[in-house]
Amino acid sequence: MARKPKPPVERTKSGFRLNLQIEERDLVLRLMGELRALLLGPNEDDRLRRLFPTAYHQPGDQAMDDEYQRLMREDLVASRLTGLNLVDECLSETSGDSAPLSEAQLLAFVQALNGLRLVLGTMLDVGEDDDLQDIGDDHPMAGEHHLYGFLSWLLDWCIRALQS
Amino acid sequence: MATAPTPIVVDRPDQDESVLPDTPWIVLVWNDPINLMSYVTFVFQKLFGYSLEKATELMLDVHQKGRAVVSNGTREKAELDVFRLHEHGLWATMQRDGS
Repeated sequence: MARKPKPPVERTKSGFRLNLQIEERDLVLRLMGELRALLLGPNEDDRLRRLFPTAYHQPGDQAMDDEYQRLMREDLVASRLTGLNLVDECLSETSGDSAPLSEAQLLAFVQALNGLRLVLGTMLDVGEDDDLQDIGDDHPMAGEHHLYGFLSWLLDWCIRALQS
Repeated sequence: MATAPTPIVVDRPDQDESVLPDTPWIVLVWNDPINLMSYVTFVFQKLFGYSLEKATELMLDVHQKGRAVVSNGTREKAELDVFRLHEHGLWATMQRDGS
């Protein structure tokens, strides 16, 4: 009988263990580095649109939204960078039987993964009814779609671990 | 039998909602095609302390009806809630209740 594969993230007595292959971990770290570079780049980069949504959407509230964007954007960037740095520290040290992640570290990982999905999903113009199964290997963005699927799979397992 | 009091006419002061600090605001989360349903439910639990049932109900409202009211309060509280939701990547906005 085949052994049941380990989930990519699982709760243990001492925290949360990441069971990622080295290649998977390195991929996530590289993507997070790219997200960090994007966050430090120009504000108007459209790939970041979903990370900085409108807060006041009613007609007549534009001035309040302008104020919100002016005051909060920097805090949102700082918050995301702090999370990315935390993930970078703990993932860089994580391999094989290394120390498990704390809940705070896994939460930072979750937010970083979701940030990556928002950027990638924006680039791929993901729609409500899109199905990854419909993306063939000959699709010009097949690699990015597979990456998006991988991040979704990993994020969902992180949520399961946190709720277990 | 008690009689109805005689109505009196009073002048209502002009009201400008923008200067009424306690005017209630509501925080809405909107459906988007990227955030996972499990993730949205988790964020509602984490940020607002909702039970899994309540958080799931709100998430399904977002998914099926396009939006859901997830919190309310003063403008300051609503803005903080919106900020926290934005930190977590959710599409959240705020507006005056009833507008």
